[in-house]
Order: sequence, then structure tokens, then C-alpha cells
Amino acid sequence: MHQINIGEDLRGFNREIAAENREMLQRFNLFSLNLMSAPGAGKTSLLVKTLPRLMEKYRVAVIEGDVQTTRDAERVGALGVEVFQIQTGGVCHLDASMIHSALHQLDLGSLDMLLIENVGNLVCPAEFELGVDGRVMLLSITEGDDKPKKYPLMFRESRLLILNKIDLISAVDFDLEKAKKEAREINPAIEILELSCKTGEGLENWIDWIDRFYKSRRG
Amino acid sequence: MHEVALMQNLLRVVEEAAEKQGGGKVKLVHLRIGEMAGVNTESLRFAFQVLSPGTRVEGGELEFEKIPLRIKCLSCGEDHCPPELTFRCPRCGGANMEIISGREMDIEYIMMDEEGDSPRAPAFSPTE
Ligand SMILES: Nc1nc2c(ncn2[C@@H]2O[C@H](COP(=O)(O)OP(=O)(O)OP(=O)(O)O)[C@@H](O)[C@H]2O)c(=O)[nH]1
Ligand SMILES: [Mg+2]
Ligand SMILES: [Zn+2]
Repeated sequence: MHQINIGEDLRGFNREIAAENREMLQRFNLFSLNLMSAPGAGKTSLLVKTLPRLMEKYRVAVIEGDVQTTRDAERVGALGVEVFQIQTGGVCHLDASMIHSALHQLDLGSLDMLLIENVGNLVCPAEFELGVDGRVMLLSITEGDDKPKKYPLMFRESRLLILNKIDLISAVDFDLEKAKKEAREINPAIEILELSCKTGEGLENWIDWIDRFYKSRRG
Repeated sequence: MHEVALMQNLLRVVEEAAEKQGGGKVKLVHLRIGEMAGVNTESLRFAFQVLSPGTRVEGGELEFEKIPLRIKCLSCGEDHCPPELTFRCPRCGGANMEIISGREMDIEYIMMDEEGDSPRAPAFSPTE
């Protein structure tokens, strides 16, 4: 028996394609966000609330990642925005090559902003960079305030944490301060917003956040 | 389950490496998996069982080396393994911490059969 040293990252292939995506998005001056969360935290609801506002200012397209169905794409498409559907066929996350082929099929020159809804999953999407400007994660307060320490990776990799379903705060034992503190222990730079897709509370802050980040990247 | 995609990458990389050696059987694949890597080693083993038949790694073994999370303070240089995943410097209180290890998902090395079952390599050398 003899040993052969390899030293290769299993994610290396994805990383290379993510770099190509980044380069391509920059070439078209296209701003992009990757929305990640556990299933049902409210990614589609947030898009449905946000898109009408964004469409007043930006030319937006959405990529919808779903394991099986086209339901989210239909909900978002009903707003009149261009939606590109990716069905991962059982895969628990979007990867860079899926985004890459979507980029080749979208008219990138006619867009300002690309919003990507990842597959609902609290672990896997965090391991697969897509090459976008920023990652945003949602944690709905019904999931529990212990999630940052239990699933640290996504909190570490995200630029913004949205604590969603804040309208339910009196119905669940969710310690907001504890969740924020522990999220910041994992990622001291993370920004945090409280929001309700149901009541619209916090929506302004989220739109402002997008505007600011957009300007810092493309302004 | 993204372990299938990761395993496909693994098999591709390992096959290429074995090919470069002139062929033969791969007996062992040694992986370094960080404490904070988003991968499940049991699922990797499962994907290996499903996907390795018919490759040079068929019948071989996967070996995992667990790498602890280690972070370094960019202000004062202190490095440590954070208890409870707290990314804050215990020495200066700095919050700008760099991950030194713990995110690995690397194929470190493979073990191959000596000349292997390669038909081109006879049991003893008839050169003289
Ligand atoms: N009360 C309340 N319910 C919400 C809120 N946001 C979303 N929901 C509900 O939560 C459920 C899931 O929301 P979705 O927007 O489909 O969540 P998602 O993250 O897109 O789900 P997947 O795509 O399946 O991962 C729906 O029934 C929404 O109506 C909120 O702020 N408050
Ligand atoms: Mg959805
Ligand atoms: Zn320090």
C-alpha cells in the first residue's frame, strides 16, 4: 500500500462555479441576494410582501429553488415579476451550477436585482455559495431561540438575520435577546431585523436595508 | 441530501488521482471534516456505498478525521478553540475572529494497492 496526498476540498467544484457566477453578475452590474431558512420560516411570504415595493424602483427577477413543486414560483409569479424555477429533484439546497445555468437563461442586461429563494433547509444551503452579493437568513420565532447555537453555520455565513413572525411573539416562548446575543456570538458582524410578513411590521427596515446594501454594491 | 453531490466530487477526484498513478485499487480515502462543516458523515458513508461500486474505490474504506473549530483574533492574535461557539476573543474582547480550522471538508490522502491488481504489473519483475 502506498499513500497519495490529495488535499482537495469537496466543495472546490462548487466554489469555482460560484466564482464564475460572481464574475458574471458583476459584469452585468446585477445585485443579488440569497435567501435561506428552514422550511416555512417565510421566505416566499417575504418576497410576496417585498417585491411590489422593490419593483417600483428596480428591475427584479426571482430564482425559486424548490425540491419538488412550483408553488412558490406561482405565488411570486402572480406579482408580475420574472421568475425562474429550479426544481432540485430531492437535493436539499441550490448549488452554484444550478444558478449558473439560470443566469445563462435570464436576460441579465435587463435587470438590476436578482433575488434567490433557496430550498428550505437550515444546514445545507450554507455550505454552497452561489456567488451572490449577500446571504440573508430568516429565523421564524416559532422555530425556537436555541437555533443559532444548534445550527451555527448559516448564522455565521449570513450578513443579515431576519427574525420573522414577530407578530406571534406573545404566543411562543422565544427569548429575542437570547437569540440575538447568541447569533452575534457566532457572527459579531451580523445585522438583525425583526419582521412580520403578516402585519408588515419591520418591512420598512428591510426595504431600507436592501436599498443601502444595493447602493454600497452598485451605487 | 447533498452528501450525494459531495460523494460524486470525491469519486471524481479520487479516480483522477488513481488514474495518474497508472491505475490500481484505492483501499482507503482519508477525509478531514471540520466540526463546523455542514456535512453528515453517516450520509457520506451511505452515499459511498451507493456510488462507489464500479469505480476504483469499490470495496475500499472511508476514514474520517474530525477537526476541531479553532479561531484566531485579528486584533491581538490569540487563537483558541471556542467553547459554546462564541466568536469573541477571551483575551482582548475583540469580535473580529478568523476561522483557522473547523470548516474542512477535504480529501487529505488515499491509500492505493502496491502495483495493485493491475494486469500490467506481474507478481515478480522479470527484468533480469
Ligand atoms: N403569523 C405569521 N405567519 C407567517 C409569517 N410569515 C410567513 N407566515 C406563514 O408561514 C407559512 C410558511 O411561509 P412561507 O412563506 O411559505 O415559508 P417559506 O420559507 O417560503 O417555506 P419553504 O419555501 O417551504 O421553505 C405560511 O403559512 C405563511 O403564511 C409571519 O410573519 N407571521
Ligand atoms: Mg418558499
Ligand atoms: Zn484578541
